[in-house]
Amino acid sequence: MNDEKNNGSGKRIVGGVIFVAGFIIALIFGWVVFPNLLYSQRPQPMEFSHAAHQDSTCEDCHFFRDDGTYSGIPRIEKCKECHESPMGQTEDERILVEEFIQQDREIPWRIYSWQPDNVYFSHAPHKVKGVECVVCHRDVSKEEKLPPYKENRLTGYSINTMKMDVCEKCHAEQGANNNCGVCHK
Amino acid sequence: MKFGRRAFLQFAAGAVGGTLLSPLPWKLVDDASIWSQNWSWRPSPERGPVTRKASVCTLCDGGCGIQVRLVNKNRAISVEGNPRHPVNEGGICPLGAAGAQFLYAPYRISQPMKQSKKRGDATGFKPISWDEAVGELQKKLSNLRKAETPHTVAAITGHAHNSMQDLWQQFFTAYGSQNLFTMPSHRDSLQGAGLLALGREAPFAFDLEHASFILSFGADLVEGWGSPGRMQTLFGKWNASEAEGAAVKLVQVASRCSMTAAKADRWIPVRPGSEAALALGMAHVMVKEKLYDASFMQDHVFGFEDWTDTRGKPRQGFKSFLMAAENSLEAASQQTGLEAPRIVDLAREFAAQNHAVAVWGGSGGNLPENTYHDLVFFALNVLKGNLKPGGMLSLAATVPLGELPQIRGDETARKGLAQKSADQIGDEKPSLTGRNLYAFLSLVAQAPPYPIEILMIHEANPAYGLAGKQTFEKAVERVGWMVSFSSYMDETALLADIILPNHAALERLDDVIGLPGSPLAYYAVAAPVLPPRLNTRHTGDVLLQLARSMGGSVGEALPWKSHEEFLQERVKGLAAAEGGAVFEESPSDWGKVKVGSTPHRNYTDGAGLWKKLSAGHCWYDAPRDPLQEIRSASGKIELAFQTLDSKGWAVEKDELYLPRFALQAPSGDPKEYPLLLLPYRMSSLSYGYHPNPPFMTKTVWDFVLKGKESFVELHPGTAQSMGLKEGDRIILKTPGGEATVRVHLFPGARPEAVYMPLGLGRKGYDAYIGGKGANVNSLLDVQGDPLSGQGIAWSARAQLKRLG
Repeated sequence: MNDEKNNGSGKRIVGGVIFVAGFIIALIFGWVVFPNLLYSQRPQPMEFSHAAHQDSTCEDCHFFRDDGTYSGIPRIEKCKECHESPMGQTEDERILVEEFIQQDREIPWRIYSWQPDNVYFSHAPHKVKGVECVVCHRDVSKEEKLPPYKENRLTGYSINTMKMDVCEKCHAEQGANNNCGVCHK
Repeated sequence: MKFGRRAFLQFAAGAVGGTLLSPLPWKLVDDASIWSQNWSWRPSPERGPVTRKASVCTLCDGGCGIQVRLVNKNRAISVEGNPRHPVNEGGICPLGAAGAQFLYAPYRISQPMKQSKKRGDATGFKPISWDEAVGELQKKLSNLRKAETPHTVAAITGHAHNSMQDLWQQFFTAYGSQNLFTMPSHRDSLQGAGLLALGREAPFAFDLEHASFILSFGADLVEGWGSPGRMQTLFGKWNASEAEGAAVKLVQVASRCSMTAAKADRWIPVRPGSEAALALGMAHVMVKEKLYDASFMQDHVFGFEDWTDTRGKPRQGFKSFLMAAENSLEAASQQTGLEAPRIVDLAREFAAQNHAVAVWGGSGGNLPENTYHDLVFFALNVLKGNLKPGGMLSLAATVPLGELPQIRGDETARKGLAQKSADQIGDEKPSLTGRNLYAFLSLVAQAPPYPIEILMIHEANPAYGLAGKQTFEKAVERVGWMVSFSSYMDETALLADIILPNHAALERLDDVIGLPGSPLAYYAVAAPVLPPRLNTRHTGDVLLQLARSMGGSVGEALPWKSHEEFLQERVKGLAAAEGGAVFEESPSDWGKVKVGSTPHRNYTDGAGLWKKLSAGHCWYDAPRDPLQEIRSASGKIELAFQTLDSKGWAVEKDELYLPRFALQAPSGDPKEYPLLLLPYRMSSLSYGYHPNPPFMTKTVWDFVLKGKESFVELHPGTAQSMGLKEGDRIILKTPGGEATVRVHLFPGARPEAVYMPLGLGRKGYDAYIGGKGANVNSLLDVQGDPLSGQGIAWSARAQLKRLG
């Protein structure tokens, strides 16, 4: 009788352990393994060091045009202003000059915060409201190497692409309009 | 321990719980939805830097400055008005705004095509190379010259306001044919009126920028009359003027409450076609009450008083003609349906205003009007003294472009040119000006004076746009070989034997000569905004290639290597001519340019001018003093048209020399056809060569077009008497044809009329254009103008029958 009792509670304990094991394995898979599986790491076409460009201001390359549009990542024309001929001996410098500048080709950068087509985003009103760049983008002021670009295998977007809930949350907090038409025109 | 079924279920339950508390399922659902947004077959704009390219719109003759948003400099996204351009100041019409859709339209012709089956069979077109296509045309053209019958070649071009028209003219004169036609336009009758009144074949122009009272006789100013961009800008300023305390008044005289009438300060509804009767009635009042500019009439006008013709016969002048019974106030009242005191009040109001002007042109300036009526409206302006310096009316200033080379013309060309153009044969009255397309087509269809071996169609769609049933189709049956240069597979291109597709408007270089309705001299270059997408070729380059390969005097007359070089030569001539400047000031300064202003020249040579023009700027010069431009026999403004004598007209009745009300009633028995069918235009329907792009069709109300059915407007009273309700399906029948349409009740319609929009009922193209509504053109009645002989299609008699 006692044995049976012990046996029964033992089974329950074993059952609980199996349940918790399944639970923990699933949690580990869901939180740790799955994100690594979901994203593939893609190389940038060449290395770029923001830190090495500290003789320029941010606005030299990332500026607003006269019509209020934002230049984003500079075009090859901009690189050419200084790098028409190599400014160092590194392999990346060679790639920049020989493969892009001399051939007048744009560098096919993978853009960390690329938004989908159905999103209309304008930097200008955010700038006017005093939103610092680092609220949405990484701080690049001392960055020596580009961070890895992780691409979602399903959607094709970067892991850093801001999701709608983040936009909405900030808009709500700042009292900005959250109507659909503000971003989805 | 055995891992049994129970353990498995326990493990699975734990795994499910764990999974639900991890991001996995939620992230997967979210990502799957984003994944579905990026399926490769879903349309998505091209990625790349966005730039704007300034140019000038050539979808109509309006000369508006545009800027096209491009991705990667080769994918057009949208067309916007150029805010720095003085004509439209950033405004744009619905057609211009939707213009980028033409570039990517599925009905574009992607390469030269040859019909391998029966004419009109869309499946019969087989692609051929450019060499084959141009070679075949060249061979046929050369053979006709060898046979000494170059006059059997004809062409119709849709362009009357650019250098392509001059290039065609040069080609035809050098080749040896007079059979070059343009699509009908109000310019045709206005040129006749200008010739009779001032001795100049130039259309009239109106200084609306400085007018304070605009009396519009059926001119759809808001819908896009003359230059739509200019009118839009002006209309905005007139509205703003009210707030500034210097209100500009717009009074609209029209049978239908059009958009312009609805937006005007006052709408005066008159009987259809009786606008000129009202103008004559007003002239009668102004003369009777001595409200006209007497000193101006005495010094500058011939034929106001009684006069004597060249044979010494005394003739009645306009003044005593206005006092005759047929021009009495009662007659005007009866013809217009307005009470006499209203006509008197309007005449007094018009006469009292310092800067009053009468404008006219019911079809947005795109169809010829009755020349006598053009002259009646002109005469009303003359009575007001509007041709004085600082007055509201003048002649459109000419643009001194580089002259084309003298044509030596060989024996074959001389023989060909000695043959009258096909429209002039069999006409008892000599034509006043230009060519008569309707007369040409009806003669070719019935009794051609000589066979038309080759007919070339350039940027025109006569199979759709000409009035009357199958006017064009019947003529084409008798044409030996038809060539189309269309970019689109339209109704006319479909009938062609061979198609040599032009680039689309935004892909090609063109120019704009003159601004319709504006007194300023205007010239602009429409630079291509993106490279050609398809295997097309500029028709100008094709013409030059043909001339080159034919050689001899034809080659000499067209010596340019390319159409671009041809335009550059013309601009070089413009730069060498005196006067004019590139407009680089603030657009608001455009209105300050007046007679006598001397624009500050801001280029040194042709290359400098070309550079500025191809960047989207325009060239302009001050308007001319109209009194200095008069070339009539008397040296004065003629209200008695003695030019008719010199043109060989044997005029018996005195009144035929004078501006008069000469309404031509459409054919058909009023008992059988009790209503009048009148076409009207809307700014959201394109009725010319270009069809409605889908974006534009989106803006058409569902009581104009619903699905595939279009509506006619009917007065509620008329509908009630016929037992018709809103939305009823009816058959609208005219002597020319019939169409199934639906009824829209509109209190702004005259009870005796039924109104139908222009621009619907196209065939072919694609699912977004073809088969939508009925084509009013095919129902209209074409009549010859009593003066110019040009075909006029202002109405038709109609009957309605309920369907079912």
